[in-house]
Amino acid sequence: MALLLDRPNDLESKVPSRFNLKKLNLSTLVGLVVVVLIVVPVIYFLALAFFPRLSTPGAPIFSLTGIKYAFAGDALRGLLDSLGVSIAAGAIATSIGLSLSWITKRTNVRFKRLISASVWFLLLVPTYLTTAGWQRLLEPGGILVRLHIGSLALFHPFFGPLGVIVVLGFSGIPFAYLTIGATVENLGAELEDAARVHAGSRLKSILIIAPIFMPAIISSFAIVFAESMSDFGVAYSLASGAHFPMATYSLYTAIDSIPLNFSGAAAISWILILSALVPLVIQRKLTKSKSYAIAGGRRRRATMVKLEGKAKVGVYTFLAVVFFLAILVPLIGILTSSLLVGFGGSISLSSLTLSNYTRVFSSTLSGSPLWYSSLMSLLTATVTVAVGGYLATVLVKKGASWGVRALDFVLLGSVALPGIVLGAGYIFSYNQPIFDHLGFAIYGTSKLLLLGYVASAIPGASRLLVGPISQVQSNMAMASRVYGSNPSRAWRHAVLPFVARALLSAWLLTFAKTLLELPMSQLLYPPGLYPLSVAINRLVAGYDYGGGSAMSIVALLYALVIVGVVSLIYRLVIPKGWKALLNVDASKNEGF
Amino acid sequence: MSQIALTYSGVTKSYVKRRVVIDDVSFEVVKGELLVLLGPSGSGKTTILRTIAGIEKIEKGQIFIGETKVCHDNFALPPEERKVSMVFQDYALWPHMTALENVAFALRRGSDQKKDRSPKALVMLTKVGLSPKANRYPSELSGGEQQRVALARALVGDSALVLFDEPLSNLDVDLRERLRVEIASLVRESGATAVYITHDQGEAFALADRIGVLCEGKLVQIGSPEDIYLRPATPFVARFTGVSGEIAGIVRSRLGGDLVEVMIDGSNGAIIATAMDSADAGDRVTVLVRPGSIKVVEDHGDGSIGGTVVDVAYRGKSYDHALLHGTFHLHGVSSHRRYERGTSVIVTIDPAGALAYMSEKGTGGHEPSVSHLAFTSEVSEEVNG
Repeated sequence: MALLLDRPNDLESKVPSRFNLKKLNLSTLVGLVVVVLIVVPVIYFLALAFFPRLSTPGAPIFSLTGIKYAFAGDALRGLLDSLGVSIAAGAIATSIGLSLSWITKRTNVRFKRLISASVWFLLLVPTYLTTAGWQRLLEPGGILVRLHIGSLALFHPFFGPLGVIVVLGFSGIPFAYLTIGATVENLGAELEDAARVHAGSRLKSILIIAPIFMPAIISSFAIVFAESMSDFGVAYSLASGAHFPMATYSLYTAIDSIPLNFSGAAAISWILILSALVPLVIQRKLTKSKSYAIAGGRRRRATMVKLEGKAKVGVYTFLAVVFFLAILVPLIGILTSSLLVGFGGSISLSSLTLSNYTRVFSSTLSGSPLWYSSLMSLLTATVTVAVGGYLATVLVKKGASWGVRALDFVLLGSVALPGIVLGAGYIFSYNQPIFDHLGFAIYGTSKLLLLGYVASAIPGASRLLVGPISQVQSNMAMASRVYGSNPSRAWRHAVLPFVARALLSAWLLTFAKTLLELPMSQLLYPPGLYPLSVAINRLVAGYDYGGGSAMSIVALLYALVIVGVVSLIYRLVIPKGWKALLNVDASKNEGF
Repeated sequence: MSQIALTYSGVTKSYVKRRVVIDDVSFEVVKGELLVLLGPSGSGKTTILRTIAGIEKIEKGQIFIGETKVCHDNFALPPEERKVSMVFQDYALWPHMTALENVAFALRRGSDQKKDRSPKALVMLTKVGLSPKANRYPSELSGGEQQRVALARALVGDSALVLFDEPLSNLDVDLRERLRVEIASLVRESGATAVYITHDQGEAFALADRIGVLCEGKLVQIGSPEDIYLRPATPFVARFTGVSGEIAGIVRSRLGGDLVEVMIDGSNGAIIATAMDSADAGDRVTVLVRPGSIKVVEDHGDGSIGGTVVDVAYRGKSYDHALLHGTFHLHGVSSHRRYERGTSVIVTIDPAGALAYMSEKGTGGHEPSVSHLAFTSEVSEEVNG
């Protein structure tokens, strides 16, 4: 990234120069990487929906068979199921996210750091693990039954659309909380005061203020809806077994069962992409068409509501219920299951054992998935942060060329790209004989899986980094240059202190998400090398619930330990001045 | 050895869509001189400063710092090799470094040993009155203190050139005045050569050894503050450096020297003005009136005109009046006596402060703003007095 500052900041200049040519080359190279990694495989794969001969010699050049497949039978049902549960999940997550935002930003509720940490934890836990936790508790022969607590009445409704909605709804809470939280925090007291002065009653003033939250609420719903449509974990681990097909699982079965139906899978991918993209585009249009700007230099911090009496009881009960259902229930399910061996029978202290954990690292289960996923996550996070950071820096430059604007569009669109679609695109694209001829035969190897991880992580990471990088005043680095620093030193001296924390957060988030990633892993894992998510799901599919749960707990703990240790090391090793920056930011930001 | 510290020669720069921001600008700065580039927003002054610093490249021309060519058509010495210092508009202090560390950083490129940098930086901070706060971070300092740290950072090294990018624009009026004096004395005390840009005429006249006035990327006049004020090259320069009003009319006769008698449009009045170009009898002119040049008198005499008071404002030492003469407004007419609105008064205009430009040459197109007018009496007192 230091290369960005290797010459003066002169993007707008029309004067051709050696410097601009260099920068153009580097930007073009990174742009090409994005095109090769994301655009080409996806577009090539999507083309199959209309041009089946691309995958099947002898098939018609143009055909709508794939589209017809997507709109008939199980595929159509899967699509309708996905739409239904995603709408419900969006509504649930947005309601809870709005409430949580208000409680943490505008009341004197205690444990705010714990609440914030819980939300981030929820963001890290993949849906297939949440599902597994609920299942281990509620299923016939499950933990509650073994504790002689009747749970079958709950299990049957859970093992269907309700369970899918619950898991997706709770998993969407972090997106809703982070989207709405900023608006709630930035709503200055003067707006509320003005509403009270002019409206009179508290109820009327709330009605006046409410529309200010609409963009955040619409954004939250759109993001959770898109995430739910794209989700593969719950579709794979719960919905498929409950005869409740979902679109992502329909896509998976189309390319994972004989006969392969790439054309149908591509058609489903079109629908998935559009259904995730359309609400995001609508949200962007809505929020751009009206000015809801509420953050400004003259903003006065809103007063905190002091919780008392019934309101206090209500708020704490709400928090307890939400986090009990969203985190504790699935965690208790997996944790207890990981300590049990065999099926049936009562549970007592003596039946709890660590033997499943021993097996995780023994030859029976082999500890290799953990180390394999660790290595892949380490490489993915490092490459993603380097490339994503560079892309973010290019995107925030003033006077962007059409190429940069196109890159921005591609990255924005790719955030809504379901991992399962990207994985399917990779399977199809990199299985072409041309790669053998080019000496780039990476299909079925860890290299392809790594590329897939990086490709799916880059759009999100670059969007995550755009904000912090855009906030660094260009004069910081320029002042350093003027006072004698070369480009590399100027970046380290005057830019890195501002973006280090964001880069670290992006690295940790990418690491933890990749460690437990399912769709790409499931589609691209090389023979004999199982990523954690695949290993866990293989164990569960083989009814080794104890082993699967133990591996899940180890994986979660491992992710948390890495996040904790790396964050701690960061705090310990950074210079004193960087800590001063952290303290200034602490009142404004939440995060790792 | 050459006494020229900066040569800015025939420089042109344009942005995308062919918008020219610097149009064939040339000037020189001699060692120890403080040159102020004065111009409104968009006149290209910031770009000139950034091209000198090496932050932006030029399209044509060349720049020498001392005898070193730092920039020409296809070559640009990077900023770190130009040995200049700069005070940024937003200070650009590194918030993760203390005031002392910020100042000491500027010494790294010099010949100072590492152990000598902090003491030297502390001496500089003492000069700007900040030694007690040397170990504070910028966020723990006020705006004025941050500006002082930026000033200390710029002056601590032996830079060939110190560049000031509107350093006082973010400060309130009182602080601006005090820091202006500090900058002027510290820069001169250190013997530094400086280029200072601002859109504030008062600041320019108070600080400059010479002033360059910029308009739409062109350097329209460069000279001493007195030259600029008393002999503005164009109506734009006159307006931008302060006028109390404009009167259109026709030259009745050419008097001795540069003086002309101008018949005012729409009235029987006439005033005596200084012809700024070759206006002759019968030529249409616009007379730009400097504010300190108008005086209320008791009786009519040569060059006096009548007017009606339309506004009056108490200014402490005197009253400022706004007058209407025919269709022409004259502002900032000062008098120790208060004349109420609607009162008829007689004023005389000092010919040295009545600057007549031939109308067909154009009047520049930049109307003076209220703030320009408000400043005028102050500048006129400084220049005249």
